Amino acid sequence: MKLSQTLGRSLWAFLFNSGSCNGCEIEMVATVTPRYDVERFGIKLVGSPRHADLLLITGAVTRKMAPRLKRVYEQMPDPKVVVCVGACGVSSGAFYDSYNLVGPVDQIIPVDMYVPGCPPRPEAIIDAVVKVLAGLEASEKSA
Amino acid sequence: MNTVWTMTTGSGTWNPLLWLLAFAVALIVSLFIRSKGRKDYKVDSGQDMPFISGNDEPKNGGGHIPASNMYWGFLESMKGYYKRVVPLHTGVVTDYLIWFVGVMALTLVIGLMA
Repeated sequence: MKLSQTLGRSLWAFLFNSGSCNGCEIEMVATVTPRYDVERFGIKLVGSPRHADLLLITGAVTRKMAPRLKRVYEQMPDPKVVVCVGACGVSSGAFYDSYNLVGPVDQIIPVDMYVPGCPPRPEAIIDAVVKVLAGLEASEKSA
Repeated sequence: MNTVWTMTTGSGTWNPLLWLLAFAVALIVSLFIRSKGRKDYKVDSGQDMPFISGNDEPKNGGGHIPASNMYWGFLESMKGYYKRVVPLHTGVVTDYLIWFVGVMALTLVIGLMA
């Protein structure tokens, strides 16, 4: 099943942990495993940004991870979309005044959709992905 | 296939034209697979670089693992020994000959005295 007509293929996602506590990753695992099972729509996590259309980012972006986040974003083929998952990536969350953070995520790379929550539920992540994909399709059609 | 080109031995036959044909087929298949690849990536950008878990690409030789890395534990455990022995190795043959003659003379002296 093709979820996207614009991409002409299934949406593949790359998960980037920029300094998360792994709470968001646990919800991400729930999203892709049988309970929510987004793979039935062709959405799956891949091991390389070179194969991904969607970048899922968790964490508040530590100083060490910032150049790596930028590099991974640049390595993704076009068209690409970015979803920031979790309160840390959205606003630095509880670590907003940490000396070791250079985030939030939109200070490093452009973000298409924010999913607040600590951690956000799988329904919220799926909803964000569907919305961002719809936005991508709309922009491709209007172009 | 032309029998002039075919070499037949007790172990089987070998024909260079068949090998050339096999290489040509492999080349055509390779080029076909390559032509199916994406061409819309930006050259000389991040999209053209290898993915190494988000790390920068090592410079020439930066990714090379020398033998000293493989023997790290061995060298570390015998650090006291190597610390003394390695400086003695100058790489000059005459130095090694002097050591050889000296040790041999000492051995002979000890042997004669015993």
